[in-house]
Amino acid sequence: MRKPLAIFALVSALAGSVWAFQRNIRALFPDTYDDSPPADAAEKTEFYFARLRYPNVRGSGMWWSRGSWTVDYPKADRQFMQGVRRLTRIHANSMERIVDLVSDDIFNYPFVYVVEAGHWDLPDAQARKLREFIDRGGFLMTDDFHGTFEWEVFTASLNKGFGDRPIIDIENADPIFHVLYDLDVRWQVPGIVNYPFQRTYEYDGYEPKWRAIRDDKGRIVVGICHNMDNGDAWEWADSPHYPEKYASQAYRTGINFIIYAMTH
Amino acid sequence: MFEFFFKYPWEVYRKGTFVLSSGWPLWLLGVCALLVAVLVGWLVLRRPGPNARALAIAGLQWAVLSLLLLMLWQPALSVSSLKPQQNVVSVIVDTSSSMALDNRIGEAKKLLDSGLLDDLKKRFPVRLYQAGRGLERVSATPAQASQPVTNLGEALRSAVAESASLPVGAIVLLTDGADNAGGLDSDTMDAVRRSRIPVHAVGFGPESIRNDVEIIDAELPSRALPDARLAATVSVRQAGFAGRTARISVKDGSKVLATRDVKLPDDGKSLREVIPFSAGAAGAKAMQVSVAAIEGETNPDNNAVTRLVDVRDKKPRILYFEGEPRWETKFIRRAAELDKNIELVSIIRTTQNKFYRQGINDPKELERGFPDSVEELFRYQGLIIGNVEAGYFNSSQQSLIKEFVDRRGGGVLFLGGRAALSDGGWNKAGAAEMLPVILPDRKGTFHRDPATAELTAAGRDSLLTRIEDNPDKNTARWKALPYLADYQEVGAAKPGALVLAEMIVAGRGRSPLLATQSYGRGRVAVFATGGSWRWQMAQDSKDMSHETFWRQMLRWLVSDVNERTTVISEKQVYADESRVPLRADVRDRNYLPAADAVVEAHIMGPGGVSAVVPLLPAKGESGAYVADWKAEAPGSYLAEVVARQGEAELGRDVLTFRREDGVAEHFRTEQNRELLERIAQQSGGRYYKPDQTSALAREIELSEAGISVKETRDIWNAPFAFMLVAGLKAAEWLLRRKWGAV
Repeated sequence: MRKPLAIFALVSALAGSVWAFQRNIRALFPDTYDDSPPADAAEKTEFYFARLRYPNVRGSGMWWSRGSWTVDYPKADRQFMQGVRRLTRIHANSMERIVDLVSDDIFNYPFVYVVEAGHWDLPDAQARKLREFIDRGGFLMTDDFHGTFEWEVFTASLNKGFGDRPIIDIENADPIFHVLYDLDVRWQVPGIVNYPFQRTYEYDGYEPKWRAIRDDKGRIVVGICHNMDNGDAWEWADSPHYPEKYASQAYRTGINFIIYAMTH
Repeated sequence: MFEFFFKYPWEVYRKGTFVLSSGWPLWLLGVCALLVAVLVGWLVLRRPGPNARALAIAGLQWAVLSLLLLMLWQPALSVSSLKPQQNVVSVIVDTSSSMALDNRIGEAKKLLDSGLLDDLKKRFPVRLYQAGRGLERVSATPAQASQPVTNLGEALRSAVAESASLPVGAIVLLTDGADNAGGLDSDTMDAVRRSRIPVHAVGFGPESIRNDVEIIDAELPSRALPDARLAATVSVRQAGFAGRTARISVKDGSKVLATRDVKLPDDGKSLREVIPFSAGAAGAKAMQVSVAAIEGETNPDNNAVTRLVDVRDKKPRILYFEGEPRWETKFIRRAAELDKNIELVSIIRTTQNKFYRQGINDPKELERGFPDSVEELFRYQGLIIGNVEAGYFNSSQQSLIKEFVDRRGGGVLFLGGRAALSDGGWNKAGAAEMLPVILPDRKGTFHRDPATAELTAAGRDSLLTRIEDNPDKNTARWKALPYLADYQEVGAAKPGALVLAEMIVAGRGRSPLLATQSYGRGRVAVFATGGSWRWQMAQDSKDMSHETFWRQMLRWLVSDVNERTTVISEKQVYADESRVPLRADVRDRNYLPAADAVVEAHIMGPGGVSAVVPLLPAKGESGAYVADWKAEAPGSYLAEVVARQGEAELGRDVLTFRREDGVAEHFRTEQNRELLERIAQQSGGRYYKPDQTSALAREIELSEAGISVKETRDIWNAPFAFMLVAGLKAAEWLLRRKWGAV
């Protein structure tokens, strides 16, 4: 009897401390964003930030019901687009678009962003459509997944469509790091769960990895940001509690990825 | 019969001049005729109640009296005629191999030997010749026709030249009229006219082809880039096989590059077919265009022609300037990367002050953005102006863009975009002059709304828009293309411009999507959209419509771009003629005509032929250098022309051409009656069919050439004159009997 009580007490204590920590983070990073469409959402533009809606792998915790694809949505997308509009000559829309691998609408958006890619579970048909999207000329950017386990979940779905393509590290000299901003020096962009950011990794994802799948011509067609959270950096770039250097790098990385996608 | 009534043959009347040989004044004849009219009128009118019958009788009486008066004045014909046995008649028999068809030479020999020659010899000394490449005197009527060439011009020039030492009274030309040496030019006709020697042409052979399929012409570009998509424009005619299917092939040696099955047109009509094919690897190629022989064809030797295509191992460079990142850039670049013979150098304004360069050869290339010097811009062969406003370029750069087309001969493509064309102020820029469309004089012409594309009639024939080889399938393929992501209004096409594709916008109708035109030495195109990337993203990844279109678009931009030294000749194939005129257009470093260049052609040909030919400045044309060279032996030739200015080389170019003997004889083998009639008419002679030559010798007698005399031949005493008088009186008598005495 004493043993179960001890376990209960331990779990309660752990849950309580996590709740308290979350409460503390939410106090610093409040979820009060007004997600009504921006005034110029209906403007017809050249570029739209398209976020992929995908089916979750089972056991994805609280995000299982909402869908991991909604993480940081829509604030991250819209704040990032503000930066794209301000910093580049891309005629970009302020509001994101949601695409999936069920309808053909994805083919109208050659740049697609996937958040929490370590939680996706693509059926075969969707994985094949993703490959077709890439083969036609689309570009996929993945972000905000960490450690060995999520990597394996990520590649399990990815390999259904890209089993013939190796995933390789992107060298510093690659144009994707220089197309607009020179990103020779990069650091791990942490999520807000890492507050106060003495530590920047999650799980066993100690080192940030910029990886890619290339096509027959050597062009990057899937840009993989593993062990980092650019989405949080875009989302909280307006927060005094989120370090500017991480937000700045996340913007630069995202802009470089977009311009690369529009030129290669 | 004519001669019985009129005393002389018709030729005398045709050639003679009407005169009155009595020597009495003509006015006196008029006065007498008037007096007779008054007298007859008075006799009739003095009777009471003159009527129409009386007037008719009076008219007949006046006509008889007037005719008798005219006979008193002694009407006659003044004609020139050759003095018997003092004038030579040259009889020329065409002995080229086309005369062997249908035994034309046999017919000519039979005609001459069965009386015509003897008839001529009775009146004139006759010189007999055979004509092929030139004129050769023979002692007997030729029985064989085996010469590979017909050069009627050379034959006539030689025959006329003999009149300088001989009294040539006439030339009798027995031929089918098929001249394939290009020698019957206006100079030859002038020489014949000046000699005043009548040429009497006797035509042999059918006037239209029978049971034959013939390639009339095949047009292929003389120069191409490796693996370029080319088109052979083949014209075929036929007789006797209307509605049958024939196969046209394009071959490089034994390798079949393309085939097309066609339905043959009605007899006498021609068919024009555009057959796309790939140029293949670099090298000078003899492409054979042929139509498969059909059973029962009378002349299978005219079913194939050869054309030279110089496939050059060059890699033209195209500069693509884009005002902002957009999807069109990515997909154009991707299409270009599939073409290993095109280099696409792009420069994109990513931010207000930054450019991103792709495809550059060294870090300094385009370091300062868009070129601002001739040296920097003219190193490219093509230019694409993307979504960038005219005001971005300074006046010097805007002039350079125009000069790039006009002077350098480059190709420029303007794309649509929110800062392009009218929305970018290009309608007010100097470059508007070279655009193939009249840009609207307003903003707000760019729309991010769907537009579909459709080919025009010109687009159906154009290689630029050929996604599918079959024209019908190609048209259907264009119609089935996904809609464009955006479009731009560009106004109407200018006169002389070619609209290859139109866009269809719901509620707006049709307007030009792809228009082209030549400007100066170069070419300009407008593609009024920045949204063709949907042709790639909205179709299966294996579909190559987008890639094919853009590769062809890029190649079109640079395919005919001349470099500083360009050499051309009049023809690709010199059939049965050896004169090869060469012409080089030489420009200096700024692409201005170089008037002080030293230009030489190094020619290599079959059997080790090697020659260095200097090209001399052409009169009145700065920068043009010309030379005539004789290519004697049949085969393929290569001429490399090098232009120098002082010690410096301005440029070099290579020309390939081909000499053929005896091939053209098999083409256009029907009688060229039109040519023969023209020769006869312009020289004062006549055209005859072989069965109409009985009067030929008499006709020749009436020539003014050679030694001739002028004589007057009376015609007042011709039987017809007396018969006319008697006829008029008989008519009067009959009328009087019918109407009673009047």
